Order: sequence, then structure tokens, then C-alpha cells
Amino acid sequence: MIIVDNVIKNFGLFQALDNVSFEINKGDIVGFLGKNGAGKTTLMRILTSFMAPSSGKVIIDGDNIAKNALTIRQKIGYLPETPPLYNSMTVKSYLKFAAQIKGVPANKQRIQLTKVIEECHLEQVKNKTIATLSKGYKQRVGIAQAIIHEPKLLILDEPTSGLDPIQVQQVLALIKNQREQRTVILSTHNLTEIEQIAHRVLIIKSGKIVIDQPLSILLNENNDTHSPTQVQSQSTTLEQIFINLHHLDSTPIKSNLIQSNLIQSNQETTQCNTTGDK
Amino acid sequence: MSKIIALAKKELHGYFSTPIAYLMLIAMLSLFNIFFYMIISQNKEVSLRDIFQIMEFMFIFLVPLLTMKLFAEEKSTGTMEFLLTAPLTPSMLVLGKYLGMMTFFSLLIGMTVIYYVIVAYFGSPDLVSILSGYVGIWLEGAFFIAIGLLTSSWTSNQIIAAMMSYFILFLLYFTSNFTQYVTGTVKAFLIQLSTRTHLENFATGIITPSDIIYYLSGILLCLVLTRLSIDNRLWQ
Repeated sequence: MIIVDNVIKNFGLFQALDNVSFEINKGDIVGFLGKNGAGKTTLMRILTSFMAPSSGKVIIDGDNIAKNALTIRQKIGYLPETPPLYNSMTVKSYLKFAAQIKGVPANKQRIQLTKVIEECHLEQVKNKTIATLSKGYKQRVGIAQAIIHEPKLLILDEPTSGLDPIQVQQVLALIKNQREQRTVILSTHNLTEIEQIAHRVLIIKSGKIVIDQPLSILLNENNDTHSPTQVQSQSTTLEQIFINLHHLDSTPIKSNLIQSNLIQSNQETTQCNTTGDK
Repeated sequence: MSKIIALAKKELHGYFSTPIAYLMLIAMLSLFNIFFYMIISQNKEVSLRDIFQIMEFMFIFLVPLLTMKLFAEEKSTGTMEFLLTAPLTPSMLVLGKYLGMMTFFSLLIGMTVIYYVIVAYFGSPDLVSILSGYVGIWLEGAFFIAIGLLTSSWTSNQIIAAMMSYFILFLLYFTSNFTQYVTGTVKAFLIQLSTRTHLENFATGIITPSDIIYYLSGILLCLVLTRLSIDNRLWQ
């Protein structure tokens, strides 16, 4: 489905992507992970043909992005980090506009509109002005515009950023539902989200892919490296792998946390004793 | 074509969903009405020639206010990414926005047809010169809008886009004022470069190929440069 071959992207003297290569199969849900500025958004922008690579080749569904950008865009649904919404429009008129510019045939526009409104649970707000919607609804409208033309590939840049836990679960459920119909690439800072929905993980560090593995293998491999007692007590999470990869020692964080909890419980005990004395 | 029309409709919706479009229309028509009354009562002529020249001057101030948001707003709000990752060519994007803006401008021009009705009620105006005047002012507006579209594609700041438009439009309008300091070819060039020279012919009922070529080539140049500017942003 996607072949990225030795892609380099330079912004002046700064190299945002350094010889990035990977392949993604049809129907995969792939999570892009990396610190801020690691190159995730740049890579997504290259995949959507918003930006051209400085060198290297990107092939999506058999089409080279440098030659057939328009054909590729027809196959891609993209939600940038900030949902690209026109605040003065209603949800319905915005989605209709999205359908029109994405080439949905006129006789199918109404059907597609009804379908995405239902799929993204937007019935209640379909006639409301976008400016009046909550962040969660805005995100869902953003996803709705990305899937309105039934793309083969869905690219979501931090789709849950800034949402409350309930909204996050709603958006994740929406993404999960897409996996049967299309290939999904998403980036996020929340690693438990990736654990919930992704099949495969690509970790980008300073513009390079440092880990590219199916999630199950990645977690198992790291569990195998632990001693049996460690595995029994706690299996490795993606978060630990991520922290270790970025050369941060998670132990002090844990001990600090335990220490602060102890101090807090001691304070509470003292407070209870004092109240009891009175 | 349907994508271009969809973009044009979106632009129009953007104008009419806020009070800005209505305020602009009311303000412009009010000013035109005042000048129309002053000119007619002073000249006592059944002609709109002076009105067209006033309109031209007013458009220098109006057009940058209308066009500054065309691309600059899309860039600042992040919707440019949405448009540039949709299956649209840069040409479709430029033409869609231009068509939307031209529809709004044509509406404004269309509302001034009442002036012809008024002068026709009081006398027998020369229909040909009035029609050619309208063609001239419409072409001039189309040129100004193309300039505004171009400057809006250069920046994400609407104020900067408007200031650049003002600079270019003032330069084009006042070029003929500098002719007293130069002679020969330079003088002829400055005269031909000025928008006033070309509108004057239209306003007096003279339609010449050179005037039409001036406006059409200016519009085409700006639209091509806007397309290149969008392309450049995309592939840099």
C-alpha cells in the first residue's frame, strides 16, 4: 500500500527526515511515535503530498507521489493536527463542501454526507455552526471530512490532542471502526492509545526510524529481556520502551513518585492524629 | 469545473456569513450615491463618465480589504493544508477563489445600474459610452482583485497582504503623475502602465484592443503568479 524509500527532508540546514524507509500493508493501523520535533508531522505531510521530500521516493497504492499527486490525494483522507474547519459554516455545509472538492460525484454526495454524519455521531450538531462546537465534536467533524470520499488511506495527526478522556475514547472508537475499510496512520503522544488500536509502531527519533515493529512483537521482545520476576510483576509498556529509547531513566521518576506518595500519606496520618488529639 | 464552483461558493459564503460583506456593500454604495448626487448636480450632464472615475479611485481602497483574506486567512487558520491535500490543482484553487471574489464584485457593480436608470429618466444618455464604461470598470476591478489575490498568496498576515495591495494599486494609479519628470519611451511607458489612462478611454465610450489587452494581460499575469506562489509553497 505505502512504500517510503530513503526519504530525506531538509529545511535549510536542518534535516527533519534522514533516510526514512518503510512499507505499510493494506489494512494496517500504524502508529507514528516520537517526541515533539522528531519529524512525525513532516513525514505525514510528505505522505499527503502537502510537502515534497528533498530526496527519496514515496509510492502510495502504486502511484509515485512526485508524479501523480492528484491521484494520490483522491485516495487519502487527512486530518492535520489542528482540524481544518471553517468556523462560519455549519457542519453539514462544511462536509458538503469537503465532498465537492474531494470529487464525490454529485449523485452520491447526499448518501456520503448521511453516512459520515452517522458514522461520526454528528446527527445532533449537523445544523450547528462549527464555531459553536466543543473540541471533541470539532475533531469528529475533522475526521468526517477526512473519510467523506472513502479514501483507501487515512492519515491522522494527533487526532486526540487536547480532548478529555471521554472524547478520547469516542475518537479512538471512531478510528477503530475505520480499520476494516482502510489503512490508518496516526501519530499521537499518548502511548496507551497506540497500544489500544495500532497493529504496528514506527518510532521516529531525530528524523530517523529507530523502531519499526508490530506492536505485539515489540512488547513481547521487551518482556523477554526482563528477568522472570520482573515479567511476573509488570509487563513492559510502550511508554517504558519509548522512555528508554530516549535515554531517560524511568526509575528516578518512579522512586520520586513513591516518595511523594509516602510524604503525602505521612502528612495525612499526622493530620488525622492531630484532629484525633483535639 | 464543479470544484471551482464549490470553491467560489465557499468564498461567497465566507463573505455573507459575517456582517463584513453587507457593511462593505452599504458603505461603498453610500459613497457612490453621495458622489453621484454631487457630480450630477454640479455637471448637469446625463453621463456617468465622472462616476466611473470616482469608482476607480474608491476601488483602490475597497479591493485590498476584500481580497486580503483570500489566501492569508486560509494559511493562518490551517485550512490551507486541507485545500492543498484535497484533490485540487493550484489552478482550480486560484480560479475558484477568483471567481468567488468576482461574483461579489459584480454584485456591487450591478447595484450601481440604478444610476443609468436615474440619468435616463432625466435625459437621453449615450448608452454605448455607459456600457463601455461599465465594461472598463468591471475589467479594472477584475485586475485589482487579481492583484489582491496575488498579494494574499504571499503571506499569512491579512494586514501585510492589504498593505502590499495598496502599494501596487497606488503605484499603478499614480504612475501617470510622474510623466512630467520623464520624456520619450519612459514617459509613454508610464502613461500606458497607469490604470487611469485605460479607464478614461472606456469611460468616454472608446473601446480599444490595447486597453482590453492591458487589463486581460494584467489579470492573467497576476493569476499565473498566484498559481506559482501556491505551487512554490507546496513544493518548497
